[in-house]
Amino acid sequence: MTTRIKIVSGTPGFAEDKDAARAIRVKKLLPALSEGKPVILDFRQVRYATQSYIHALVGEVIKRYGEPVLDLISFKNCSPQLQSVISLVVDYSLSGFPQQPSVSNGSTTATEPKQRNSRK
Amino acid sequence: MHTEPFALTMAAAWGARCRGQGLKVSLKNLTSRAKYAARMKLFEFLGVDPHFVIQEHEEAGRFVPIRNIRTPADIRSVIADVSVLLHLDHDQEALAAVQYCVSELLRNVLEHSQSPDGGFVCAHYYSKSGLKRVSIAIADCGQGIAAHLAATYPDVRGDDEQALALAMLPGITGARPGLYGTSENAGAGLFITRCIAKGSGGYFFLMSGRAAYRLRRSRTAKILVDPMEENHDLWRVRSNWQGTVVAMEIPIDNIADFQEYFKSISDQIPRPDRKHRKIQFT
Repeated sequence: MTTRIKIVSGTPGFAEDKDAARAIRVKKLLPALSEGKPVILDFRQVRYATQSYIHALVGEVIKRYGEPVLDLISFKNCSPQLQSVISLVVDYSLSGFPQQPSVSNGSTTATEPKQRNSRK
Repeated sequence: MHTEPFALTMAAAWGARCRGQGLKVSLKNLTSRAKYAARMKLFEFLGVDPHFVIQEHEEAGRFVPIRNIRTPADIRSVIADVSVLLHLDHDQEALAAVQYCVSELLRNVLEHSQSPDGGFVCAHYYSKSGLKRVSIAIADCGQGIAAHLAATYPDVRGDDEQALALAMLPGITGARPGLYGTSENAGAGLFITRCIAKGSGGYFFLMSGRAAYRLRRSRTAKILVDPMEENHDLWRVRSNWQGTVVAMEIPIDNIADFQEYFKSISDQIPRPDRKHRKIQFT
């Protein structure tokens, strides 16, 4: 039996309340997954979320159960913006962040988001 | 006389700390040129009557006056006001970027600063001349970054410059050591907000103890993981700031699709097999 969890936001369309995310994780998400039940996280009412919110929601779950748990979790009605944040949290939860340089002398990596008005 | 938000929040935080210790704040040579500071409600936090009358224009479309943040409910209130007061409803991506940064930075204060007075935040939308930009500042008089990180990174104890550099790296949190953070903290807040400032062409300023760092405005959106490899200024300041100050600028005309910031960061995450995760988006 699938567990369906509706994600709501305190601010219209914007989910940032980590305490609420943690409560969902502890009370609903982890219990369902520990029994091997599939879960649907329905983001219909949310367009944006902070990385901290998504981390509090699923970061521990992914680290605990690893990549196979992704077969049990369905992220429903996600905007492209939400998908990008969820993908980031999933990626670093499984693989970590880029190799960190030493504070004073380290190698670097670079990346480049698009700007609306490119000023290059 | 205009004053940048970071100076206003620092003054408010410092004034609140002094008053919390039973001290009285007094000001000299205050003139009506300080009306902007009064309109931003600075003198309310200092407990000082400026003795001049200000005409309170409608706040919408211009600024979010100084707010004292002590609870998650306060954060939600400010985020709602960002939407109402800055009039960015016509630009949802820019509004989301501002709300995102305000939320993440204020959460840092509540979770890590141990500030007895909470944090102080204000924002100003410069929409009339030159580059349209939102300037945000958050200040507290808490334990500061070095003291916070020293619990898990002892090498930075007493070294504010090293602490600032470390705090801006992804995956660094004072909650406990490790690249992956804790159940509640990934240690990515300052890194991502720095990325948003850089990616939009704005500056990012971080100050704690006797060190201050500023990521300069840039014509390239290229993001470097190591903040010390960026085009930056690093100051060893004479007067210790007991606490933390974060200020940033978001030129809203340069905000691209919001998700691009996260995609660009994800692109840096190592994937041994170079394949994308099987995330079910339905």
